[in-house]
Order: sequence, then structure tokens, then C-alpha cells
Amino acid sequence: MLIPLLLGITFITFSLAKALPGDPVYSMVGERASPEIIEKIRTELGADKGILRQYGGYLQLLARGELGRSYYTNRRVAEDIAIKAPQTFKLAFAAMLIAVPAGLLLGLSAALSRRRWVDRAISGLTISGLSLPVFWSGLMLMFLLSLKLKLLPPSGTGGLQFVLLPAMTLSLPALASLARVTRVAVLDIRAMPYIRTARAKGLGDLRIISAHVMRNALIPVITVIGLDFGSYLSGAVLTETIFGWDGIGRFAMEGIIKRDYPVIMGCILVSTLCFVLVNMMVDLLYQYLDPRLRKR
Amino acid sequence: MLVLGLSCSTEQRPKGQIVYRLNADPTTLDPAYIVDVTGGAIAAKLFNGLVRLDAELRIVSDLAHTWEILDKGCTYVFHLRDNVSFSNGRAVVADDFKYSFERVLSPKGRSPNTWVLDKILGAKAYSQGRADTISGVEVLDRHTLRIRLESPFAPFLQLLTMTAAFAVPQEEIQRLGPDFAVHPVGSGPFVLQEWRHNTELLLLRNAAYYAGVPPMERIRYRIIPEDLTAVTEFELENIDVIGVPAYEYSRLRSSKKWNRLLSSSQGVNTYYLGFNCARPPFDKPELRKAVARAVDRETILRTFYEGRGRLASGPVPDVLRHWPAPVLPSYAPVYGTGRARQTAPGKRDIPPAINFYVNADQEVVDIAEIIQWYLRKAGIEVKIKQLEWSAYKAAINNGEADMFWLSWWADYPDPENFLFPLFHSSNHGAGGNRSRYSNKEVDRLIEAGQRSEDERLRDDYYMKAEHIIAEESPWVFMWHKTEYTLRQPRLKNYRMYPIYSIDKGTEVSF
Repeated sequence: MLIPLLLGITFITFSLAKALPGDPVYSMVGERASPEIIEKIRTELGADKGILRQYGGYLQLLARGELGRSYYTNRRVAEDIAIKAPQTFKLAFAAMLIAVPAGLLLGLSAALSRRRWVDRAISGLTISGLSLPVFWSGLMLMFLLSLKLKLLPPSGTGGLQFVLLPAMTLSLPALASLARVTRVAVLDIRAMPYIRTARAKGLGDLRIISAHVMRNALIPVITVIGLDFGSYLSGAVLTETIFGWDGIGRFAMEGIIKRDYPVIMGCILVSTLCFVLVNMMVDLLYQYLDPRLRKR
Repeated sequence: MLVLGLSCSTEQRPKGQIVYRLNADPTTLDPAYIVDVTGGAIAAKLFNGLVRLDAELRIVSDLAHTWEILDKGCTYVFHLRDNVSFSNGRAVVADDFKYSFERVLSPKGRSPNTWVLDKILGAKAYSQGRADTISGVEVLDRHTLRIRLESPFAPFLQLLTMTAAFAVPQEEIQRLGPDFAVHPVGSGPFVLQEWRHNTELLLLRNAAYYAGVPPMERIRYRIIPEDLTAVTEFELENIDVIGVPAYEYSRLRSSKKWNRLLSSSQGVNTYYLGFNCARPPFDKPELRKAVARAVDRETILRTFYEGRGRLASGPVPDVLRHWPAPVLPSYAPVYGTGRARQTAPGKRDIPPAINFYVNADQEVVDIAEIIQWYLRKAGIEVKIKQLEWSAYKAAINNGEADMFWLSWWADYPDPENFLFPLFHSSNHGAGGNRSRYSNKEVDRLIEAGQRSEDERLRDDYYMKAEHIIAEESPWVFMWHKTEYTLRQPRLKNYRMYPIYSIDKGTEVSF
């Protein structure tokens, strides 16, 4: 299933990229170049061939296990991705590490204090978390934590101190959507007959929540986590740009702006792969959480 | 409290390290392939050419200690220093320049910078694969190089200050192949120590540099794409010098603390509104001049641009012009009457809306809207078409735009650089002449200027060419932008230079 999916994605991306207006050769040659040089580079890149032949050439490259070289830097795309993908993973993972516990906790507290002020306050927070753009919240966090309190470095790629600021920024929308999904799921489950049964058995609140409510509420929650994590793995362009984080998102974006086709294709391939893998893992988790989904 | 435990926002830095900010990763550090200013500025610290530019934009000696110009400007003989080595320890000799020039022009390579060296005799034959060597480049002995040109070319020494004419060591290029672009080896005052792409570059000083050991031990370039982030890093003293973003200018200018730490450099550049002169409606000068009269450049420069520039009086920047400036059509407001449409002779030729191409940079879009407003007042409707950079470039190179916004930055400080590529009819499109302007007399004058050895005569040719161009208005000549940088107080001898290649990094210290 994975191979035809990836093939389809490469074909769509390839055709879309080529259909965009713009020509990478003009940006490669600078502000004054002779027509001969432009022609020469075009021939060398194979840009003078038909689109299907170009696509065929790309598939041949893939079959050899390569992603090609960037038009501009002449570096291997695969090598660059091998440096950037772990950074993106680090950032995405750190963001989820903040978003998941905080989101679950907020959602649960909101559900348990339904329609009281705690619920209202949390709901206000989550709406802002969802609606504030990261370039605003990111800059505000930088202003506060770096410039005013001098706690964290404002930019750079590296260890824990560098990852915290972008991870916090990136975690906000995921945290907010998780909290909202959790709240609804918990409220739904709490209205189920089996919860009444559990109460009738004389179980305590804590036990009911941890063993019955949360476990069942986790199915929609895991779906949201999977989707967010999957999309973060394909890179967070704005967050990476603001904090100068060297990840896939920025790499892909720069590739798109410069029409660096091998970079665009490589990034899309890797992102698709990550997204598909994360969702496969989510499917496996469903089966663990819900015995009804297991095959006999 | 976890946060507090690992806090260190003002980082510990080694002594003798100066930190600059770049907004993008350099594409390559192989001098033959560099086309961006960022790459050029770093390469200038890693490599040397035969000659270089000083702060006053004069040609001074670099690896050639002296040179002679013979045969009415057709032959150059360079005498090389005998105390220069590449950082791998091998001495730099005349053969290295021959190799480096051949590499740029090589038919197998794809250097976009062939134009820098194609004035040399036999360069074209070599780059087209018709000859085994460049006949005009001869090594007379270990330290003497003779270069013959096809015909005299006055700014030839200026061309030799560019990255494409830097000396590179053959053995390293053979060893590294395409990786030379990321592991460059040169003879410059600094050596590349580390390059973490999209994050930072670290340069160490070259203790064996021929012109003396630079005062700074290390130069660190941090790549920070976002301006606001760079300003924050600067305020935390993590960066020593930043370019001043437009929106920070007035705040810094009026700040007591920062005002005296601002440096400026009168840019060797020209911003312009270009017309497509090759097709209606702008194929005749009348409508072009009507547009020029309708736009109040002075007010835009003073208000929107906050005076960060000098009004242009032609394509050639004032710093390079040694002759009386042409007189441009002055602003003549015609509010609401549509008089420009009436006064323009070919008024029936004005299409309902003229397309005005701009790249999708916010500042440019703002300026375009201001211009659109002025033109509407004059009865000329323009439709702004925003494209992102690579689509924009393709569109203007192919002549799709009626009007477009662009700037030209000097490759080398000679009026020729603002005339030949931009207005000579052989350079239509990607060659630089994007307004597709053609005038035989201007072509002739520019060529005569290029060939002329006598400086006064040359200025005379350039003056005549510039006056004709100004009269025919293929552009609205807007302004020459002044650039600003802000530095930390501890920096000594910091200076901002108008051209990327001047700064070798050997002056600034703490």
C-alpha cells in the first residue's frame, strides 16, 4: 500500500511543482548571465526534456535509492535531509511532550468542572491557543523568556535550551485542540451506562476516571495526537523560521521558493513517509486500546 | 525552575570572536559559482584575487604587488608576491590564476560568472571547447602573469576584484570535487573551520596571512532568517553587527543609546521602475515620461522610506558619476483630471490597465501601491501583479511585464556596470537589460567608453550615454538606497563598506 501511495504523491508533487510559474535557472545564474549559460544549465538539469521524461528520470534516481542533488548548493538532498530530519523530529517530539500531558490535563479538568468557571477559563485558553498564529505567540514567548527574563536563547539549533522556546510555541495549537477533544470525549464517556455500572460497583472517582473514562476517551485523543505529530514531523515552517531552527520545514520552504525541485521532492517524500508511519502506529494503538478492533 | 537550571541566554563566547548575522545560508563558497552577496562577502575573507578594492573604491594591489598596462589597454602584466600561500601550505603562483580562470570558463563547468572573464583573448573559444587553453592568459614565470584582452576594456581591473577571479588551488579541487563548495581552501586572512548549514559558519584567522595576522581570532556567522529574532539576539549581545531592518530604523535613530552606533554606507545601487520598451504601451518615451512626472519620488523617499536613500538623477549612482547629472522630468501633479492620458500623444494606445509586476516583498508591494495611487491621480490605471521571486524573475526576464520594480547593485564600482548590462541592446532579459531598451547611439557610446583608455574621454562617452538614457526614460530612476548597520559599543575600527568584496575582515577588533 505504501509504495503506490508514495508513487502517487511523487507524481502529483512533481506535476504541481513543474506547473508553477518560475524557472530555477534564472535564480541560479544571478543578475546577469549569457543565454548560452542559461541554455547549458537547462540541458544539464534535463529541464529541456518533456515532463514525463523528467519524471521518469526522477523515478530512476529513486530506484537507485537516491534523492538527487540540490540545483543551487549541489549537495546531496538525502544528506541534507539526514541532518534536518532528526532536528525536526526533536522539535516535534518536544512539542508533543509538552502538548500531550498539558492538553490531557486541561481537557480532563474542564470536563470534570463542566460549566463552572474552570471550564470556562480553560475553554477561553484553548480558543486562543487555536486561533493565535504561531508567529505572534512565538515572538511573544521570545520577548518574554529571552529578551526580558533572559532565560532561553532566542534562536539556534541544538540542545534542550534551544528546543524549549520553539517547542512551547509549536505545542500551543496542539495542546489546545487536544484539550478540547479530551473534554468532549470525557463528557461523552461519563454519560455511558457502563460508568453508572462502575459507580454502582462502588468504585471511587479516581479509579473510574483512570480505568474507565480515560482509557475509552483516548481513542479520539490518540487520533488528534497522531495527526498533529504527523504534521509536525513534516516540518513547522513558521516556528523553524522564527527561531532559526534547522528543520525540514524551512528546508522545504526554501526549496519551494527557489524552485529547487530535487529538494521539494525529497522533503515531500520524507514527510509523506513520516505521516503514513505515524498514522500506522496510531492504528496499532487503537487495537491495543480497544479490544474490539483486534483481529481474531 | 527546570528552565532556570539550564538558562544561559547571553552565551559564553570565546575571546576574540566577532559574530555577524546572515539571513540565509550561502549557496556555495566556491568562488567560481558564487552569485549571492552573502557568499561573496564570506569568500572575500577566504580567498584573494590579483587586485582588490579599498574602502574608497580604488583598485589596490592584492596578490599582485604591481602591474603594467600595455598595448593601449590590451595587455596586462601582473607581478605576483612571492610570500603568499594557500592555507594548505602551498605557495600561490601564477599558474594558480591560469588554472582558476580556466576553471570558470571551462566548457565542462557551469559557472554563471563567465562574463567576468570573457573579455580575455581566446576566452570564448576556450569556453566553447574550441581551444585547449585560454590563449590570452600566459604564465611568463612563477610570479609573472600576462593577460591579453580581445579589445581594450577599461574596467578590466575592476572585474578582477570579483569572486570569479579569485585564486583557488587545483590540488584541493581535484581532491574534493563538488565538495570544494563546502570545504573551500584559499589564501585569505581567514580559513573556514566549520559550516553547519542553515545554522552557522565559523572562520578562524590565518596566522600565515601575507598581509599580517588579522586582529580577530574568529568570525562567526549565525544564520537567522527572521529580522525580529536577529534584533533580539543583538539586544542580548549575542551578535556584534546587524543590518538595520526598515521598521527598526526610526526607533534606533532616535535612541540615544544606539544612534551613535549606527553606521551607514551610501549604496552603490539604483532602484527603479522599469518599463518594457519593446512593446506598447511603453515603446515610446512620451508615456514613460508621463509616468515619471506623475510619481512624486521625493515624497515617497522622504516619508515611506524615511530618507534612507538619495534621489537618483539617472541610472549611475552619484558616487560613481564624475560628470554633470542629467536633468530628469520633475514631478507635475495632475489631480483627478486624467491629463496625462490626454497629454500622452498615443493615448489610444494605453490599454485599459497596465500590468505592474512586483515581487511579493511587503516593502515593494507597499511602494507599488503608492505608485499605483499616484498614477491613478494622473489618469493611468495600473494593475499590480505580485509574484514570488523566482516566478517574478522569469516573468520580467521574458518580458511579460509592462512595468516592474527592481534594483541594481554594483558588481564593481564603475559607471560601466550601471550602463552596459542595463541598457546595451545585447543584454535584453536575463543579461540585465530587463526594460529591453535599445538605442544604437547608446550602444555605441557605451562600447566606446569600455574601450577608451583616457579617463576623461571615457567619462565623456558615459555622460552622453547617460543623458540620452535619462531623456528617453526607459526607467523611472527612483533612488540610491542607503544601508545601515548597528554595532555593539565594544567594536573598534568597524566600518561599513558599499561593496561586499572590500571587507577582508582585517580591520575590525574589540
